[in-house]
Amino acid sequence: MIPDHNPQDITRVLFDNFPLWMLVTFYLVAFGAIGVFLYGVWAQIRKYRRGTRSGAWSPFFPRFGTMFARVLDHKTIKRRARAAGAAHQFIFYGFTVLFIGTSIITLDHDITGPITGLHFWHGAFYLFFSLAMDLAGLSLIGGLIYMMYRRGWMKLPRLDYTRPDRSPDEPDYDRSGYRREDWAFLWALILIGVTGYLLEAVRLVWLQNDPAVWDYRWWSPVGALLAHLMKGIGIVPEGAADIRMVLWWTHGILALTFIALVPFTKVKHIFTAMGSLMARDPEAKRRMPTADVEAEKIGFSLLTDFSDKFLVNVDACTKCGRCHEACPANASGYPLSPRDLVLSLRELANDKLSHASMPEGPIEVIGTEVNMIRPETLWSCRTCAACVEICPVGIEHLPMIVQMRRALIEDGNFDTMLQPTLKSLQKSGNSLGENKRKRPRWTQKLDFEIKDARTEPVDVLWYVGDYASFDPRSQKVTITFARILKAAGINFGILYEDEQTAGNDVRRIGEEGLFQALAEANIELLNSCQFKTIVTTDPHTFNTIRNEYPEFGGNYAIEHASSMLERLIREGSIPQPANLDYRVTFHDPCHLGRINGCTEAPRQVLQSMGVDLVELGRTRDNSFCCGAGGGRIWLPDPPELKKPAELRAAEAAEIPGLDVLVVNCPKCLNMLEDGVKGTGNEGNFRVLELTELLAEAMGLDGAQQKGLDEAPETAAVSA
Amino acid sequence: MKILVPVKQIASLDDQFEMRDDGRDVDEDYLEKDLNEFDHFSVEEALLIKEAAGDGVEVVVAIIGDDDSDDALRTALAKGADRGIRVWDDSLAEADGTSVARILAKVVEREKPDMVFTGAQSSDFGSATTGMALAGLLGWPHAAVVSNLEYKPGASSAKLRRELEGGLEEIMTIRCPAVLSIQLGINQPRYASLRGIKQAKQKPVDELSLDDLGLGASDVEPAFHVRKMYAPERGKAELITGSAAEQAARLAQIIKEIRGM
Ligand code: SF4
Ligand code: SF4
Repeated sequence: MIPDHNPQDITRVLFDNFPLWMLVTFYLVAFGAIGVFLYGVWAQIRKYRRGTRSGAWSPFFPRFGTMFARVLDHKTIKRRARAAGAAHQFIFYGFTVLFIGTSIITLDHDITGPITGLHFWHGAFYLFFSLAMDLAGLSLIGGLIYMMYRRGWMKLPRLDYTRPDRSPDEPDYDRSGYRREDWAFLWALILIGVTGYLLEAVRLVWLQNDPAVWDYRWWSPVGALLAHLMKGIGIVPEGAADIRMVLWWTHGILALTFIALVPFTKVKHIFTAMGSLMARDPEAKRRMPTADVEAEKIGFSLLTDFSDKFLVNVDACTKCGRCHEACPANASGYPLSPRDLVLSLRELANDKLSHASMPEGPIEVIGTEVNMIRPETLWSCRTCAACVEICPVGIEHLPMIVQMRRALIEDGNFDTMLQPTLKSLQKSGNSLGENKRKRPRWTQKLDFEIKDARTEPVDVLWYVGDYASFDPRSQKVTITFARILKAAGINFGILYEDEQTAGNDVRRIGEEGLFQALAEANIELLNSCQFKTIVTTDPHTFNTIRNEYPEFGGNYAIEHASSMLERLIREGSIPQPANLDYRVTFHDPCHLGRINGCTEAPRQVLQSMGVDLVELGRTRDNSFCCGAGGGRIWLPDPPELKKPAELRAAEAAEIPGLDVLVVNCPKCLNMLEDGVKGTGNEGNFRVLELTELLAEAMGLDGAQQKGLDEAPETAAVSA
Repeated sequence: MKILVPVKQIASLDDQFEMRDDGRDVDEDYLEKDLNEFDHFSVEEALLIKEAAGDGVEVVVAIIGDDDSDDALRTALAKGADRGIRVWDDSLAEADGTSVARILAKVVEREKPDMVFTGAQSSDFGSATTGMALAGLLGWPHAAVVSNLEYKPGASSAKLRRELEGGLEEIMTIRCPAVLSIQLGINQPRYASLRGIKQAKQKPVDELSLDDLGLGASDVEPAFHVRKMYAPERGKAELITGSAAEQAARLAQIIKEIRGM
């Protein structure tokens, strides 16, 4: 490899030709830059530590390992954006190799060299080093160019800083500073890369007569190519030496400035994103944070109520806009974008928490002033977790929103329409303003008795849920499910009037005290019953019992109806259903699909009926919320806005020849039926529950149902 | 400066229910208990006055009821009332508006409030007598169905608006202290979160017996006695259609049925 030369000579000049003052200046600037960097890092950490302690980074090593794997494989960045993810990976690996390379020079020249006399940056090592650095530069610049193309020419709505939560005339509307920063970031890195190559090329031209340099030029292929070009346009060694001096300083100052600015600019996402990914709670979308309801206060109303983790979260946002695009509230014109919520919090924190001393008095977060989060923003959320799911840097918007809602509920700061609902939940354990005793009334329409799980042991305890018990449309599904269970010979029972809502939406609307009271009462009741497993048709109930009850001592095996039906068909308890000649599509309920990963069972049930399943554009973990979640089903939608369910219905209507939009949740059924009507698709396709379709395929249709469409009998009074 | 707000725990009924064995009330099992709807407004009105004054106004809620009624009392406390009073004696099981007013008169004697706000009526029995009877016993002025109130703590009079039949309204000035029966809609009552209700356990509640108030069972004898409670038979209506002859035939048939022929 290095036939005629002493390997010691195969290296690169660093400070040759530098007068002493220049050398001193360089080191001063370098130390200055590192000083600014370190100060910045410290100031950021100080800012985060002004929040409450979360302990979210421990246990350190396993969390670090997971984070490190995500950083290396870029899985979260590539998700639903392969090209951008790949480009980022090119930038990331290019940058990392260049950074390590530069550190090696520093190590050799300023540390091991002077201290121990050990120099290793020469010979074969140096040649491979050169090649790696050259390729890394290509990778970096290539990735950056794609990103420029993406920002400048692709006109992606997600990269548009239009925000739904402010009007353009408000002082904090403008996000153009971010746009300029995005571009400055891309240009700065490109310039550092390009000046690096040019610098290498002029060095080669300058030292072309030194065979220890020139003979090995192709180990830096890009530099060598440029050197030949320079020679071609007539640059001679002396001239090259002068140009090199200029380029050397340009490149050096650019790079050092970049380093100094890391903690103060977008560049800090290198660290904050790692910190955020490391602190990520895999349960964040399923389980809302527990709160001590006995404590002085509840929820987040002040900036200092936010934990260090959330403060790192909001600093990690790279404005990729994926959450903004996925959010159903934003898509339907509600004043909420998870991205803008995060950015407002970030700006508020930068403004209030990053100075030497804290401002006097409490720092309110919820309100109408600059960078505050508005109550209507918080009430717009459907808790569908689409934001948490897709955020590449592990930001947890949803728990922050719920925490802020808790403060609003405690303060009574909410739509008055919600008050009767909450009072009904307090009084009767359901959200529909119905008397407790009315809960099992739907069973009267059956021609058989359902066992009372409170008094006799059953195999399967069916937790019916609010909408499934009371909503007239959902009651039909409930009755159908009962009949399927009966037909499959399942030994099942219900809790009759003692069942109360499981509390998924109560918790997500922010009424934590009520949620905990409901959870405790339900768990006490469940613990007094004898059963093997729980089943429910309601994904909200399913989520809460499965993921939130264990914290309150309720550990149960629970299945969603779809998984149970899939199993019963597979095991033969339900005879092979007849084939239905329908073209259908399936709407994944957020709380079943994205939040609990149960996406295949309902599809297998559909498959067993031989229907022609055409997927919607957004399915499974990318399903688009019907708009009911997080208690939004209790709040009226303003008539001037599109409902998320209408957007969804319109999406389904694009499927040619669609017969049935299949849903799998009582609330989706309610919302999407309205959505289909609202978009004038009533005559085009039907909305049916999976259970109903299966009943049809099993031949258990309406004819056998006793008086299903009659109004329930009222006042059966015996005086 | 003190405002006394007497509240009631009411019962609401499902549309299917059974009567108690003695046929004088609905079986307890079919009732759900709650703070009287009207009292949300009277409590709120007192709290608004307290908050507007900033300092120095105490809101005391009083309830006549057994420990079961603690929930209603605590709901009022959770909203921001300072203190509670609960009076109970088993002899009060059948108390009516006037017996309650007699007890409240003693509570007023003890507490010496500057104003008393009751709800316009209770949403279960709706006799709307308690406020009026209390004012009568105290010799204080009384205004019913108050739908707007201007009152500064400590003032010797208050200006108020009342709803009358036929959409009329009446504006009047009332001498204080007074008993006001507050109508729905006078304000927007706040929500008491369940956490607030639980924490209201820490607020002081005086539990008093009739004895403590210097009353005996004979002082609180109800003025009336329920003899029977029942759901009346539902009336029947039938639209008779067809030709004149057919209609006449059907009519004749119905008359025969009713006369038992
Ligand atoms: S949970 Fe859903 S509705 Fe709420 S902010 Fe996230 S994406 Fe938007
Ligand atoms: S919060 Fe996450 S998903 Fe949303 S813009 Fe920021 S980085 Fe992207």
